[in-house]
Amino acid sequence: MNESIQKIKEGVIEGRHKEIESLVREICKTGISPDKVIQEGLIAAMNVVGQKFSDGEIFVPEMMVSAMTMKLGLNIVKPLMTGKAGAPKGTVLMGTVKGDLHDIGKNIVVMMLEGAGFQVIDLGVDIDVEKVVAAVAEVRPQVLGLSALLTTTMPEMKRVIEELRARGLRDRVKVMVGGAPVDAAFAEKIGADGYGSDAVQAVALVRSFVGH
Amino acid sequence: MKATPYNLFMSALYGGRKGIRPPAGNPTSIACVELMKACGAFFPEAHLNPRAMADLALAGHELAGFDTVMPEYSVHQESAALGCEMDWGNETRMPDAKTAPHADFSDVIVPENILEKPSFRVVLDALSMLRREVGGQAAIIGKVMGPWTLSYHMAGTQNFLLQLGLGEKDKINRMLRQLMPVTIAFANAQFRAGADAVVLADHATGNLVGPYHYRDYLLPIHQEITARVGGPMILHICGNCLDRLEFFAESGVDAYHFEWQVDARTAVEKIGKRISLIGNLNNAKTLYQGTPEDVYKQARYSIEAGVDIIGPECAVPLTTPLANLRAIPAAVREGY
Repeated sequence: MNESIQKIKEGVIEGRHKEIESLVREICKTGISPDKVIQEGLIAAMNVVGQKFSDGEIFVPEMMVSAMTMKLGLNIVKPLMTGKAGAPKGTVLMGTVKGDLHDIGKNIVVMMLEGAGFQVIDLGVDIDVEKVVAAVAEVRPQVLGLSALLTTTMPEMKRVIEELRARGLRDRVKVMVGGAPVDAAFAEKIGADGYGSDAVQAVALVRSFVGH
Repeated sequence: MKATPYNLFMSALYGGRKGIRPPAGNPTSIACVELMKACGAFFPEAHLNPRAMADLALAGHELAGFDTVMPEYSVHQESAALGCEMDWGNETRMPDAKTAPHADFSDVIVPENILEKPSFRVVLDALSMLRREVGGQAAIIGKVMGPWTLSYHMAGTQNFLLQLGLGEKDKINRMLRQLMPVTIAFANAQFRAGADAVVLADHATGNLVGPYHYRDYLLPIHQEITARVGGPMILHICGNCLDRLEFFAESGVDAYHFEWQVDARTAVEKIGKRISLIGNLNNAKTLYQGTPEDVYKQARYSIEAGVDIIGPECAVPLTTPLANLRAIPAAVREGY
């Protein structure tokens, strides 16, 4: 691997947020393709970070700093991309369901998805069914991600899926669910298309949905 | 030893003589809508009015059959007193702080009269009522938030974790040190008001932060808190904390209240007799969505594994069926 790209990758993994912008600027001047910087530097780094998180080597604080570092780098390189390489791999709509104000897990998934090249529209927290369904109808995302931390707000996920079905939108969007009280069995029970136990799995799930 | 709820709980808390059965305890809330209806004390009043607060706690003992009474249902009594704007919720929604007044990590000035703030006073008065009404009969449990949890409330959780990740050690330590006296003052006041034991809830949660964060930042603070608080303390930290149990055993607490993600047998093996273990019934799957039979089986598993005090892993969902909660005392009453 190109030594400069390796430096970018290490910079993101280690969360060297103060250096990343100048590192990316420098490498972009050498004529290397921006897509390569993103794929082999920034995204490859976040894959490593995600794996370290799944393995319990690092935790949310370190992951947040890596994601922030990745985003700083992405902001430099993205405007340089042209044509097909600059197009997002797909659109994902994300939100924490009604009655639930917790968003750290969802925010990490958002950051990881952006890092993986997806366009993400984040609806925020405490989002009622109507708003989610209206956004699906308007945005037409390939994937809808629903998050809940509270056991008591889990039924809202089911309500969203039922409402999507009632409006004839269910077949147009893949629905993934996640959050501390949720598991694969619950996802299947409510008719979701998938469950991600952490941000890495969520990204893998979205990739499988959109074929990347 | 007489096998009274109080005796069984206190002996198990200290790892002492075993009675005829293990105690059923709730270091965190077992308030649920059915229990509120049964005793006539509802949220949000039970967060704000000492009589309603005490009545709901008593219902956990008298109607649900637990050996403990624990009258603090929210994690926001301290943050309300420290200036967070509060939404006290309703019957089916727990309170939440709407603002984080120290997001800029500015100095937290603790009011001199903090023990007289309404959100502190209500807990202290409820504990005194419980002492008068069931003292020596049921074990009375108080609860304080540790400085880590309070920092989430003061700075905002995501903001606090980001600063932690950025290695802003001075910022983090300063905030923790400024908040520690609140935890100590409230815990000691709760003992003076009538608590037999006080829960130290401090959410250095497994999967959220690492064991090294606990060891480097929080362990010395917990050691100082437990040294400066008069009575027995029960540590409550959510999540899978198997990787930091050893540190908890060094913190000076008498017991650790743990979640289902840590297998009961593994926890007992790892902790030995250094501190007692309380828990660890699964809230989401078993207590909330399961049947009394499911609860009974899981409680028996924990008893057979050697968990000292049996109870839910954390505050139960507010729509938990009362029949499921009652299955815990039913399981402990069958003895060891």
